[in-house]
Amino acid sequence: MLNRRSFLKWTGALTGAGAAAAAFGPAGLFQLRPVNADELESLKNQGIEIKYSADVMCPSECGLEMWVKDGRLTKIYGNKAVPFNDGTCCAKGASGIQLVYSPDRIKYPMIREGARGEGKFRKATWEEAIDYIGQKLTKIKKEHGAESVIMDAGDVTDRDQYWRLFFAFGTPNVFEHGSICDTPRRHGPKLMLGGKRIEPDLMRPVSVRQPDGSLQKDMTYKSKLIIYVGWNPFVATRINYESRGTLAAKVDNGCKIVVVDPALTNTASQADLWLPIRPGTDGELFAGMLRYILENDNPNSLDRRYIDWDFKKYSDGWDEYLEAFKAWWTKIDPMTKLPYFSIEWTAARTGISKEQIIELSHMFGSTKPAALVCGMQSPGHHYNGYVASILMTTLNVITGNFDVPGGAIDTEITKSDKGGSATGKDFKKKKVKRTINSTEVEAEIEQLHMDSYGDWPVAWDDVIGDYPKCFKEGITLKYGKFKGYKYPIKAYIQRTGNTVMTGSAPYRWIEALTAKDASGNYNVELVVTVDTLYLESAVYSDVILPEASYAERMSLCDIYPSHPLLYLRDQVIKPLHESKIPTDIMNLLAKKLYDLGDKDIQPKDFWEKYKSQDDFVNEMLKPAPGRYNIGQPLPYPNLPEGYKLIGTPDSLEAGKVTIDNDKKEIKGDSVTVEWLRKNKGVAIWPMSWHRYRKLDATTGDYVANKVFPNTKSKLVEFKFSLYADLDKKIQDGLGVSSGMKDLGWEHLPSTFYWFETNWNPYTNPKYQKYANEYPFQLIVGRVHQSMTATQMLPTLAQAPCEGTWMPLNNAFEQEILDANPAIKEGYEIKTKKFKANTWCVGTVLMHTQDAEKLGLKTGDMIEIENPLKRTVKSKVFVSEGILPGVVKMGFGTGGRFSPGLGGTYKQKDYTPSHNELIDPDSLSPLMGMPTYADMVVKIKKI
Amino acid sequence: MPAKKKRYGMVIDTRKCVGCMSCTISCKMENGVPFDGFRAWVNMTERGEFPKVKRNFIPRLCNHCDDAPCVSVCPVKASYIDDDGIVLIDQNKCIGCGYCISACPYSARYLHEGLQVADKCTFCTHRVKAGLEPACVHNCMGKARIFGDLNDPQSEISQHIARNGVQTLRPDLGTNPKVFYVDAELNNLPNKGGK
Repeated sequence: MLNRRSFLKWTGALTGAGAAAAAFGPAGLFQLRPVNADELESLKNQGIEIKYSADVMCPSECGLEMWVKDGRLTKIYGNKAVPFNDGTCCAKGASGIQLVYSPDRIKYPMIREGARGEGKFRKATWEEAIDYIGQKLTKIKKEHGAESVIMDAGDVTDRDQYWRLFFAFGTPNVFEHGSICDTPRRHGPKLMLGGKRIEPDLMRPVSVRQPDGSLQKDMTYKSKLIIYVGWNPFVATRINYESRGTLAAKVDNGCKIVVVDPALTNTASQADLWLPIRPGTDGELFAGMLRYILENDNPNSLDRRYIDWDFKKYSDGWDEYLEAFKAWWTKIDPMTKLPYFSIEWTAARTGISKEQIIELSHMFGSTKPAALVCGMQSPGHHYNGYVASILMTTLNVITGNFDVPGGAIDTEITKSDKGGSATGKDFKKKKVKRTINSTEVEAEIEQLHMDSYGDWPVAWDDVIGDYPKCFKEGITLKYGKFKGYKYPIKAYIQRTGNTVMTGSAPYRWIEALTAKDASGNYNVELVVTVDTLYLESAVYSDVILPEASYAERMSLCDIYPSHPLLYLRDQVIKPLHESKIPTDIMNLLAKKLYDLGDKDIQPKDFWEKYKSQDDFVNEMLKPAPGRYNIGQPLPYPNLPEGYKLIGTPDSLEAGKVTIDNDKKEIKGDSVTVEWLRKNKGVAIWPMSWHRYRKLDATTGDYVANKVFPNTKSKLVEFKFSLYADLDKKIQDGLGVSSGMKDLGWEHLPSTFYWFETNWNPYTNPKYQKYANEYPFQLIVGRVHQSMTATQMLPTLAQAPCEGTWMPLNNAFEQEILDANPAIKEGYEIKTKKFKANTWCVGTVLMHTQDAEKLGLKTGDMIEIENPLKRTVKSKVFVSEGILPGVVKMGFGTGGRFSPGLGGTYKQKDYTPSHNELIDPDSLSPLMGMPTYADMVVKIKKI
Repeated sequence: MPAKKKRYGMVIDTRKCVGCMSCTISCKMENGVPFDGFRAWVNMTERGEFPKVKRNFIPRLCNHCDDAPCVSVCPVKASYIDDDGIVLIDQNKCIGCGYCISACPYSARYLHEGLQVADKCTFCTHRVKAGLEPACVHNCMGKARIFGDLNDPQSEISQHIARNGVQTLRPDLGTNPKVFYVDAELNNLPNKGGK
C-alpha cells in the first residue's frame, strides 16, 4: 500500500514460518499484506530492536509491536501479525510508555508502618519483605490451615505462577477477577454451550482452508445483523476486533447494527438504530422477542422462516424448555397487569414501543446470518442476569445463528487452551486431614473450597463480592467430606486487581480489612499486594511487592478470538527499579516457605523445575491449541476429524504428528517460546464454522459430531445438566444456598426459569415504593480510558468519553511524564499546572430534561443519594444521549483515594465512586456477583 | 521508467471511526508532542434530540494543503511543502513567531512548549521514508484511515477515493487539502475549525 517496492512481497506465513501457503487467492477475494523486509533493516541500522508482545492494560490484551532502543521502550504499535487486533492499537495501548516509566509506580518492596489505610510504609529489601510474608504464612498455616489464605490474582491474566504457589501451599481458595466481572452474563452460555462469551463472527482476517487444500486469509465479513444489548465494544470491550469489525461489516457488507442501551454509547452512536431501554429489562426484551418468534414463525413463508429447526438435531431438551417458557404466557404480571412475555408486557416493562419490539423480533428472525450479543453492562450487572443470558443463547441457537459464518460464536470454547500443569491445579487433588467434632477426616484440598463447598455451590466462577462477609464471619463448609468444618480467613494476598475499589462496596472492604480482635490485632492477619501500580487495595496492605510491568515480564495473551490463536507477552525490557518478574517472585516465596519447613513446597516443583520464565511459559504452552479438528471447512483435512489438536500450526499442517486413536488426540511439536519468537510472537490455527456437526457419509446429511459444544452431552443443552448435577449435591446434603432461599427455590430448575431483578421499582413490586423518592435509575459502564488503574496515564485524561469521563476538572498541579524531544529519553518527569476543564475526570451523565428540572447545566456539582443513605458527589454532564430518568457513571473513574493514581487522585473529592452506591447485600443469587447496575438514586444540586 | 513523483494524502472514512482517540494519543506518543499540544485530535459533537441523537466523530490533523496559508505567511521560510506534497516545518529555521499558527484555518498548528517552535502533523514522514504508515494509520482501531500516494491510481487511497464520495474540510477556503473525508455531514457540523 505504501511503497511499490514492497508491493510484490507478501506474507504467506499464515501458519508460521515453515508453512507458507504457496497459492494465493485472486486479488480482491483475499487481502494479503505486504512484508517490508527492507524497512526492518533500516530500523536495525538505527539501533532499534523490534519485539512482539501483548498488552495487559485492559483485558483485550492486544498483540503489540514494541520498539526498544538502548534498552528503553520507545514505541508501541499494534502487531499486524496478530489477527485479534490486526495491527490496531487503542489510545491506552499506545500510551504504555507512560505506565512503564511512570513516577507513580511501586519501585521497591514496602512494609507498613502506620495503621492499615494510613498509607505509611517504609522501604524494605526483598529479603525482609519475603521473610515477613513467609513467616506469617507459615504461622497461619500452622494455626488455621492453608485454606485460611486467599490468593486473588486480580484483574489481569499473568497469574499462573501465583496460583501454582498457593495451590501447592495447600489452599484451594485461589481466584481471579472473573467473579466481579460479568458472571450472570456468562451463565446462559455456560449452561447451554459449556462456554462463556457469545460474540459476533467479526474477527478478520481468519485463516480458512480452501477447496484446493491451501490456507488463505479471509477478510470478508458475512454478518447481516448484529444486535448489541448493553454491549459497547467501541469503548468497554475486551474484544478488540469488534471495533473495526462492526463498522467493516456495516459499511462493506451492509450489516445492520442495532444497539439496545439506556445510554448513547459510542457504539450506539455509529449504529443504524439506537433503542434506549429501561435499565434491567434486557431479559424482558429477549423474552418478548422469543415469544414473538415462536408465535409468528412460519416455515412455509419466505419472510417468516424465523426458526431453523435443524437446531433440534444438535441440541437436547427443547420440548421441556418450550413448555417451561410457555407456562408463563398465561400468568399475569402484578406490575403491568399483562400476560408475561406478550408484546404489550415487553413494551410496558422495557419502555420500547410495541412496533419497535415487533420490528426487532422480525428483523432478528428473518435476517441471516445475525448475532444477538449481550454485554457486561446489561445481564452482567443485574440480579437476574441469568435469565437474560439464557434467553440470548436460546435466540441465537434456534434461529440457526450459532457458530455459522457471520453468526454468533461462543469464543470461550473456540480459543486456544493454555496453562496446563503449570497452573498447579493438580496440587488441589492432594489429600489433607482436618478434625471435625473430634473426628479426623481426610480428603482432597479442593473440598476445602470456601465457595463451592460453602455458601455458593453454584458459583463456578467464585464469589469475591462476598469476601468482606467471609473475612468477618469465617467459612463453614456445607458439603463433602469436610462438611461442618469451620475456618477463618487470615491472609489475603492480592496480586494486581483492586478489590477495595471494585469488589462491591469499598466501605465494606475497608471495614473487613481493618477489623480487629479483642486484643487489638487485625482479624485478617496478613494483607499483601503484588503489583506494578499503587492502588487503593495496596493502601490497606501490610507488605507491598513491586511486580515488573507487562513490558518487563513474559507470559501469554488471554483473549477471546473466534478460533484458536495464541501469542506471547514477551519481555521487551529489563525489570525497572527493584521490581521482579512473577516467576522469580514465586520461586523466592516458595524457597522461603521451604526453608521455614513447609513440606508441601518442593524444589522440584518450583525453582528446580522453572529456572527461568521461559521454562514456565513453555509448560503453559504444552496443551495448545487443545481444540478439535471439527467444523467446515475442516481445519486439517489430512488429519482425523473430531480429534483434539495439540502442537504448532506448521507441524499439524505438515502432518508431522502422532495420533492416539484411543484418546482421539493428535500431537505435533509443542508450541514454545522460541517457536513464537520466530513467528512474530503468534500461533494461528485455522478457522472453521458449524463446529457442532459433521457429514454422515452414508446418509449425506449433517449430524451432531458429539465433540462440540462443551456441555456434558456435547449438544446444545436446553435441559441444564450442569444444574442437574449440582442439584444432586444440593439435595444430597449440601442444602439450599441462601441465594436459592431468596428466590424461594428448593431445587435448581431443570430448564427455563424467570425471576425479577432487585432495586428496580418498575419491574419488581418489592421496590415500587422507591419510585417517587428516588426517581433515577443508576447505571454504570466501563470507560476504556479509565479502568481502575490506567487513568494514572496522563494521556488518557485527554481522551473524553461518552459523558462519563469528561474534561471538567478543577485547576491542579501534578507531576507527570511528559514528552521532551530535546532529550535522549524523549520523556521527562515534570510538575505541571493544569487549568480547569483540560483534564478528564469521572462525571455523571444526565438527560437534558432531567437537568432542566433540577436546574443543572454541564459542570455543576450534584450529590447523589441511594435508599441506603449512601452519597457521592460529582460534576454533571448534560446530554440528549441518555434515557430520561437514568443517570450513568463510569467504573472506577472517581473518588480515587490512592496517591498512586496520579492526576486522578487530585480529583477524588468531586468525582463519583459508583460502588459506594450499590447494595453490597444484593449479590446475584447463584453466582454471588455484585449487582452493579441495580440501584435507584435521588439527586440534588450542591 | 522513471519513478513518478509522489503526492501523499489521507482519507478518513468517518463511517468507520469508533471515537476511541487512538489517533490523538498514538500521534502524541510517536512524535514527542507535549501534554498541551496536539498534532491530531478528534472533534466530537452531539447533534439531534433524544432518541434521534448522534455523536459525530471528526478526526483531525494537518490537511497538508496544496495551497497552504501557513507556508505563505512564514517570514523565514521555515514552513514548506516537500517533494512528496507533505507540508513540513524546518525546526532549525523556525523562530516561533506564531504567524503560521494564526494563519492555519484548521487550527492544525501549535507552539511546542519545549522546543519553542511551531509544530504540527508531518504525516509521520520519518516513518513513511522507512516504508511504514503514519502511526495514527497503523494503530487506528476502526481502520478508518487510509494513507498513500494520490498520484498512483492503483494505491488503496486512490481506489477508495474513486469508489466513495469524498470531501475536504471547508473547500470554500481554497486551500486544496490532501486530507479527505468520507462523511456526508462533514461541512454541516459545528466546530469545524477549532480543537
